[in-house]
Amino acid sequence: MFSHYIDLSWRSFKRTPLVSVLMVMAIAIGIGVTMTSLSVYHMMSMDPIPNKSSQLFAVQLQSMDEGETWFSPDSIPYQLTYKDTDHLLNADLPYKRAALMKTGFSVHLNSDKIKPFLETARVTSRDAFEMFNLTFLHGGVWSLEQEQNAAPVVVISETMSKKLFGTENGVGQTLYLDDLSMRVVGVIQDWQLHVKYYDPNNGAFNDPEQIFIPFSLIKAHEINTWGNTNGWKHEPVKVFNDKLESEKVWLQFWVQLNNESEKQAYSDYITNYIQDQKKLGRFNREQPEFKLRDVNEWIIYRQVVNEDNKIMVALSFMFLAVCLANILGLLLAKFLRRAPEVGVRRALGASKRQVFYQHIVEVGMLGLFGGVLGILVAQLGLLGIRQSYSYYESLANMDISMLMTAPIIAISACILAGIYPAWLVCRTTPSTYLKTQ
Amino acid sequence: MLKMNNISKVYQTEMVQTHALRDFNLNVEEGEFIAVTGPSGSGKTTFLNIAGMLEPFSSGEYLLDGIDVGKLNDNQRADLRNQKIGFIFQGFNLIPDLNLYENVEVPLRYRGIKAAERKRRIEQCLEQVGLASRAKHLPQQLSGGQQQRVAIARALAGEPRFLLADEPTGNLDSLMARQVMELLEQINRDGATIVMVTHDAELARRAPRNIQVVDGQLADFTLYQGKPNVAVGA
Repeated sequence: MFSHYIDLSWRSFKRTPLVSVLMVMAIAIGIGVTMTSLSVYHMMSMDPIPNKSSQLFAVQLQSMDEGETWFSPDSIPYQLTYKDTDHLLNADLPYKRAALMKTGFSVHLNSDKIKPFLETARVTSRDAFEMFNLTFLHGGVWSLEQEQNAAPVVVISETMSKKLFGTENGVGQTLYLDDLSMRVVGVIQDWQLHVKYYDPNNGAFNDPEQIFIPFSLIKAHEINTWGNTNGWKHEPVKVFNDKLESEKVWLQFWVQLNNESEKQAYSDYITNYIQDQKKLGRFNREQPEFKLRDVNEWIIYRQVVNEDNKIMVALSFMFLAVCLANILGLLLAKFLRRAPEVGVRRALGASKRQVFYQHIVEVGMLGLFGGVLGILVAQLGLLGIRQSYSYYESLANMDISMLMTAPIIAISACILAGIYPAWLVCRTTPSTYLKTQ
Repeated sequence: MLKMNNISKVYQTEMVQTHALRDFNLNVEEGEFIAVTGPSGSGKTTFLNIAGMLEPFSSGEYLLDGIDVGKLNDNQRADLRNQKIGFIFQGFNLIPDLNLYENVEVPLRYRGIKAAERKRRIEQCLEQVGLASRAKHLPQQLSGGQQQRVAIARALAGEPRFLLADEPTGNLDSLMARQVMELLEQINRDGATIVMVTHDAELARRAPRNIQVVDGQLADFTLYQGKPNVAVGA
């Protein structure tokens, strides 16, 4: 019967083409708007590193004195001091870890081959590349010795390599970061990331950096941050070393803990570290406080998807509801107009259930057409967002799950809107119409 | 075949109660051809609708082939209607979007008959009413008489034992009316039980048994002028 119902639905479309097209357009616009906002929301909130998100932990230490408060939800600073970062990075522990800082330079080749340009860069440590699943196309990460000795080495992305050297393999070439001459030791595949989870401070949806240099260069070359520096007490910073020794927080720190026991062991280590620091006059709190948040917890905690985005999705669903209300009205008119035919079908042996299913299949088909057209409308919407806001460029896309979701939402919504008209028409008393047709 | 005991049908509004049928008793034997006459508003169509299970009744007992219709749910009534009853309406009630073949196919689809068997029955029924060559035509491309013959073919396709006809010739000229009547008589001779509501006294006289409905009650004034045909039910 299902194929018969589809055939009847198609005939019904052809019988009232204007109303049918109107309904499909209404669904398409509703679905288009909904899917546009839902796709952006989906990309914002999706797990950026699904195979590892439960093993990578952002480390937060409550380094403020008792009574001090922070603007974070739990009053713990988002970032770490240099002292703590340096200590955790060099701790004698078996866990992979990464210290991170956003910086930037004037990049050039000390020649007239290319015009110097300002570019952000990421100061980090060796493990970061493996932890964050970065793939080397040529060369590799700098050595431990180079990291410890603040060697002037750099890892760049393939795009940066092509831009600077005209080739994907820039290993062995030299580039300049301000006045620092740096040798390229590795070229990685471009880091494709929708959410810059490892450092959402200056925009969670900015593109990841394309230049990576060893953490030890911070001290060696007094490299300052291009990100946020926050303090909670007055500390004069006259020279760069003052900042390194201060309680100002300006660095990110991630650790990879593969199971619960590793997490527990690392927690114990941090607790002991805080106790040790207390003896040195830091961490003046009764109870040591720190947090280890995995990637998804971190994204929620940092409110990467903010309330405005959620409201936008809710509004778009309300718009879809308005479209559906219109469709409901049109369906009511269309179905009730068909009551005489339903009367005949009932007289010829159709049960109420069969009549109901026939009409539900029709609205489902309507939803399918609307959903497919809605995907096109959503593509236009996403194109508009990409062209208007480059910040959203990587987010304003529909992935396969959203493409599949669109018709499902459309069909479900239409069936929801069609239940009442279908129920009403299936309750038609056949005898009412048989005499009057 | 059909037995109604003290059937009443009351239409109730806020202001008034209308008794369309009251203490209506009728026994129809298999193979009978009954003409139901009566003035407008007397309850003929209500009787036919209740007989066809298109309307519920308010009280009484209705047995169709021994089955107590009052105890059936909607699905069971639909199944029973589909299997045992064929309808012929005054206004033909063909579905305008479907061609003749598809119109005749409608009750067969609801019965779940397979495509090959459907085809056989449809072709046979259209042949029987003389419209096999018009199978792909739409109803509006036919005359009134032809449309009624299609409606009869549709009613016959399910091989029902019981045909209910509501003014089957009401919209036809006298020549076409006679042709349709002859067709119904032939169907009756083939074994189907027919109950036909009509205003046409001449047509009513051609039926072996006449009953008259007046004020929702039965006046059975022509009793078995001839023996009912032998039942050859499907």
